[in-house]
Amino acid sequence: MATATANINFFQARKGLFSWIFSVDHKRIGLLYLYSLMTFFLVGVTLGLLMRYELLNPGKDLVEAQTYNQIFTLHGVIMIFLFIIPSIPAVFGNFFLPIMLGTDDVSFPRLNLLSWWIYIIGAIMALSTLVFGDGPADTGWTFYAPYSVNTTTNVSMSVLAAFVLGFSSILTGLNFIVTIHRLRTPGMTFLKMPLFAWSLYATSWIQLLATPIIGITLLMIVAERALGVGLFDPSIGGDPILYQHLFWIYSHPAVYIMALPAFGVISELLPTFSQRTIFGYKAIAFSSLAIAFVGYFIWGHHMFTSGMSGTARIIFSILTFFVAIPTAIKVFNWVATLYKGSINVQPPLLYALAFIFQFMIGGFTGLILGALATDIHLHDTYFVVGHFHYVMFGGTGFAFFGALHYWYPKIWGRMYNVKVANIAFTIFFIGFNMLYFPMLIAGLMGMPRRYYDYLPEFHLPNMISTYGSWVLAVGLLLMLGNLIAGFYKGKRGVGRNPWGGITLEWQTLSPPPVQNFDRMPEIPKNGPYDYENKPIIKE
Amino acid sequence: MEHATGFILPNSGHNRDAEASKMGMWLFLFTELLLFGGLFIVYMVYRLMNHDAFLLSSFELNVVMGTVNTIVLLVSSMTIAMSITAIQKGNSILSIKLLATTLILSLVFMIIKYFEWSSKIHHGLFPGMEYYGNLPKGEALFFFLYFFMTGLHALHIIIGAVLIAVVIYRTKKGEVHSENYTLTENAGLYWHLVDLIWIYLFPLFYLIH
Amino acid sequence: MENHKNHHNDDQHETHHIASYKEHFSTLAALLLLTFVTVVVSVFGANLATLSVATALLIATIKVIVVAYYFMHLKYEKKIYSWLILLVVVLFVAFTVITAIEYLNR
Repeated sequence: MATATANINFFQARKGLFSWIFSVDHKRIGLLYLYSLMTFFLVGVTLGLLMRYELLNPGKDLVEAQTYNQIFTLHGVIMIFLFIIPSIPAVFGNFFLPIMLGTDDVSFPRLNLLSWWIYIIGAIMALSTLVFGDGPADTGWTFYAPYSVNTTTNVSMSVLAAFVLGFSSILTGLNFIVTIHRLRTPGMTFLKMPLFAWSLYATSWIQLLATPIIGITLLMIVAERALGVGLFDPSIGGDPILYQHLFWIYSHPAVYIMALPAFGVISELLPTFSQRTIFGYKAIAFSSLAIAFVGYFIWGHHMFTSGMSGTARIIFSILTFFVAIPTAIKVFNWVATLYKGSINVQPPLLYALAFIFQFMIGGFTGLILGALATDIHLHDTYFVVGHFHYVMFGGTGFAFFGALHYWYPKIWGRMYNVKVANIAFTIFFIGFNMLYFPMLIAGLMGMPRRYYDYLPEFHLPNMISTYGSWVLAVGLLLMLGNLIAGFYKGKRGVGRNPWGGITLEWQTLSPPPVQNFDRMPEIPKNGPYDYENKPIIKE
Repeated sequence: MEHATGFILPNSGHNRDAEASKMGMWLFLFTELLLFGGLFIVYMVYRLMNHDAFLLSSFELNVVMGTVNTIVLLVSSMTIAMSITAIQKGNSILSIKLLATTLILSLVFMIIKYFEWSSKIHHGLFPGMEYYGNLPKGEALFFFLYFFMTGLHALHIIIGAVLIAVVIYRTKKGEVHSENYTLTENAGLYWHLVDLIWIYLFPLFYLIH
Repeated sequence: MENHKNHHNDDQHETHHIASYKEHFSTLAALLLLTFVTVVVSVFGANLATLSVATALLIATIKVIVVAYYFMHLKYEKKIYSWLILLVVVLFVAFTVITAIEYLNR
């Protein structure tokens, strides 16, 4: 297979559906993830819009209370397990990690394909609850016991789906860790890896070491439902708070599975569009590891009102503040990277800047929730909903779309319409903040989350929020429409390096050849952000 | 992997890399450890809450059978470790014999386990049975954890046995030999993990009274 | 692709140590001895209830270290494996300790 495949790109190599769904090429698997993720994302968005529509006015607008419970549960399950946990690592990690390391694939290409298949099986299981059994779970995506043990809806299948999806996540993490240890091109030491690779490394360790705990916990829920043992149900001897402990031992680190890769993307975007090297490379690299490590010990801050012991609450609250330190280190370094840079305003940069703005709102509201006293007031209000949407969607979601706009010409060898992309971004950004900022205010006013109805005094913020959701939807459709149009009609011949990117992936062809490189990858002496820097597209 | 342009990527994902396979196996073992780790946390919490009931229930378990099974697993750990030495020295036949011994020992373990479980089930101690439903809460938790944890462990024994059978088959075919024995090593690592978990399960369930 | 020998494979063959049959046998003997001790302590030291659990867990931990060090070849592996295992153990111990603190302070 060595000869004759000179510089054929990975799209041309083989054709047909089977050449994709059974491909072991990391680039194709990355795109398989992209297409499947975006499909589920749109389902999740639709459910979110339905919820917002129901909340437009007090009283019933659209659906019954029970249906509303099932909608927000399915929205959570889809967005968390099917979209945001795999998002950046599975799509851009798969596509770019081997290229950034100067190799031709991950360490276990077949295992990589298996991860995608397991993901699809898990997704089918999760969505099958719409059709089979007594309807989708109505427990919220956290499946808190004892309600998840007692409800008649199809919790068992949803929980098994989450278990299967966890497997997929573990295998991807395992693959990346081994790849980073074994396949860096000679001369690329750990401290010469791009920061995106560093963030994936930290993420992979969380995927590997936290996911098994939720796996076994979810199996216990299934066993409890099937056998009627009192594992978490207090009426037959169990302790529901233990379920919350086990759940958050995974799910708090999982927050960093979602956030760390986004940090990595931002660390790639900012140097390219400031046209200078990254500021504080080592600080950013090690702060990823620090966040991953500290993130394991602060799960209890999700449970301040659960009735656990006061001592533990104080410990968890103190530890929670520690995670702000490495996060702030990153933000300072990003801002310092922009400082005195020659800023080249392009769509990916706009997403990166929006990320910093929104992630900081998410982070600061997080500190408010991490403080014991304020959390008692704000727990289970819309303030929490606003907070985590600012972190997850305003943070990771924006980083995901920023990455898509950034690497788009590298992946497809075409360019989307930059002007439309800028307009779409603006609408998207305004819609996002209109949608979620009022939630923070409604929460401060005392509006509880997860109810399909509310008191008339909360009408105004809810109305703004619902209108915002429509603006957001318009921005999203325009953005995706623009990207899809670029896929068919975009300008070809973008060259190797349309943005003047300074990392290894910009040194190869666009789209990359099957073996990723058409010439031997060389490692610059002064770290990974030191390739020649010549932007080709400029205003 | 060679390219038409005439350069070879030194570290290719398509090369055979024994070290990578072994590292992958270790990482997988970490996930297994934490899978059981979650159960150990549940065990610890419920033991703290139901101290006396746990002590009382553990009298129901048969220490002799537990001890014999511990010895069986330890011996099988040695035989599989020796089979790696044998294949490294190029002695495929001895390696196969030692692997087969391990396989037989895993069968012995499962047979003893079968007798243990069936005597408990005979007494109605399996979750969901009528007698079990009337047990005090602490004892019910103990037996649930007993069946869940030893059951999950037994599942791992079965998976390990299948893996060993695959290694025997591939050693016979000559695909595993003194230059390429990663599969034997990884099967060994997996089998030792099964042993490690039993080393903790045994005192926590059988020896706490 | 098989004939392009990876440089990883080369250095692995240089450093790979073969453990002797005798070493494995001595390891087993030590493990059996520890098993004997833990059973005896449990069966005949029943009046020291908590102490016997602590002893049992301590002996189990020693056994696990022996298995990992000799049978699982940690003795001959690169140091990074030991460090990673230590990391996993630290994490798990931290989970249990924090959870135990929570329940003991109810």
